[in-house]
Amino acid sequence: MVCKWRKLFRVLLFMTTALVFMGLDPVLAAESAASQGGSTFAWWMWPLILFVFTFLLGIIAVVAGVGGGVLFVPIVSSFFPFNLDFVRGAGLLVALTGALSAGPGLLRRGLANLRLALPMALIASTCSIFGAMVGLALPTNVVQTALGATIIGIVVIMAISKRSDFPEVKKADALSSALKITGIYYEESLGREVNWQIHRTPAGLALFILIGFMAGMFGLGAGWANVPVLNLILGAPLKISVATSVFLLSITDTAAAWVYINKGAVLPLIAVPSVAGMMLGTRIGVKILAKAKPKAVKWIVVGFLFLAGLRALLKGLGIWG
Amino acid sequence: MSNATRPSEEQLKYASVLQTVSLGGLFVLIAGFVVYLSGLFPSIVPVSRIPEYWGLRVHEFVEKTGMPVGWKWVSFLNHGDMMSYLGIVLLAAATLLCFLVVIPSFAKKKDTPYVVIIIIQILVLLLAASGVISGGH
Repeated sequence: MVCKWRKLFRVLLFMTTALVFMGLDPVLAAESAASQGGSTFAWWMWPLILFVFTFLLGIIAVVAGVGGGVLFVPIVSSFFPFNLDFVRGAGLLVALTGALSAGPGLLRRGLANLRLALPMALIASTCSIFGAMVGLALPTNVVQTALGATIIGIVVIMAISKRSDFPEVKKADALSSALKITGIYYEESLGREVNWQIHRTPAGLALFILIGFMAGMFGLGAGWANVPVLNLILGAPLKISVATSVFLLSITDTAAAWVYINKGAVLPLIAVPSVAGMMLGTRIGVKILAKAKPKAVKWIVVGFLFLAGLRALLKGLGIWG
Repeated sequence: MSNATRPSEEQLKYASVLQTVSLGGLFVLIAGFVVYLSGLFPSIVPVSRIPEYWGLRVHEFVEKTGMPVGWKWVSFLNHGDMMSYLGIVLLAAATLLCFLVVIPSFAKKKDTPYVVIIIIQILVLLLAASGVISGGH
């Protein structure tokens, strides 16, 4: 596994080097600038900036404990020259790739739970398709305004929501009992195995209708919503909720991503540097996490996310830019 | 890991397929992108001209560039930009392949509710992937 990651790292390093070399080629730079009607930025500058930007975003996302997917769309759509359609397409791919990379390990360690995820994923992925269709059909300013309002809502949820390590579930509900959604995992902080079960399954499933729709419409990772629902509504332990949420994204975002792919809204020139930058940044972020002060970083990121949400809202309303 | 905390057979199988397909997809994604940037193969839209279009809405982009939509990209696989697209499609197909692999394990255990859930999930993903349903203009 480590060997595979090393290989992947080398490939990424090669790609970065290739981009940098292209950046140093004056002939290519001049040709590129000329082809864009004398724009001061050659074509390759934006993907390169995007790569560096998402690399930093990946580091910050891990240290702050905030999903990279939720940061990507509002920030990139606010500060880069790409249409929101392509940013959402790339955002979905960023969230999807992150979930695909983390999913196998979380499933093997028994932290992500397949039985818990599948019913939720079915609802969320179906609704994410409708969200993607609506998002691509509505005028950009409407989607931008709704995105801004949603991001500000997410900031409020992040600021006020409390999490419970081991929620008390006295009795599993009928639906979760019928589906045998229960589990046992080893909790290192307690040094023992913890049994868990869930309740309020119908309410949780209903909330995943909304979560899926929003994930598809805005191209956002939905960890900010998955975790509170799994943890606080359904009563799954926090570790199980976080891991299952990541795994859930791999299914929810897949369904929405297909809609964007089929419409041509996933541009490799935007999506690939974003995926590569975010993955590399996430890996570095994990190493930095041990030395950083996550709480301080989290509040800085939440503040920045609020500004990006506000900018998206004002941009959508035609007030700012 | 004790027997009690050991994940189910189908969960481990899912994890194994997911890892293989997603790593393969990532490799193809990056390799295809390097080929695209290198200009070794012709592109439907040359990489240097993409900035002229990336500010447009997707339907305008498709109209102006003639970029294939749906599954038409398959017939242009000898183009650099479509090689890059192949990795994206592989990543999007990873989950579908995992479901196809684990469904026999659930069926063997006669776990009917989950067999039904997975079949519906496969149909939903196939419907999304087919391009039959789409939004926009």
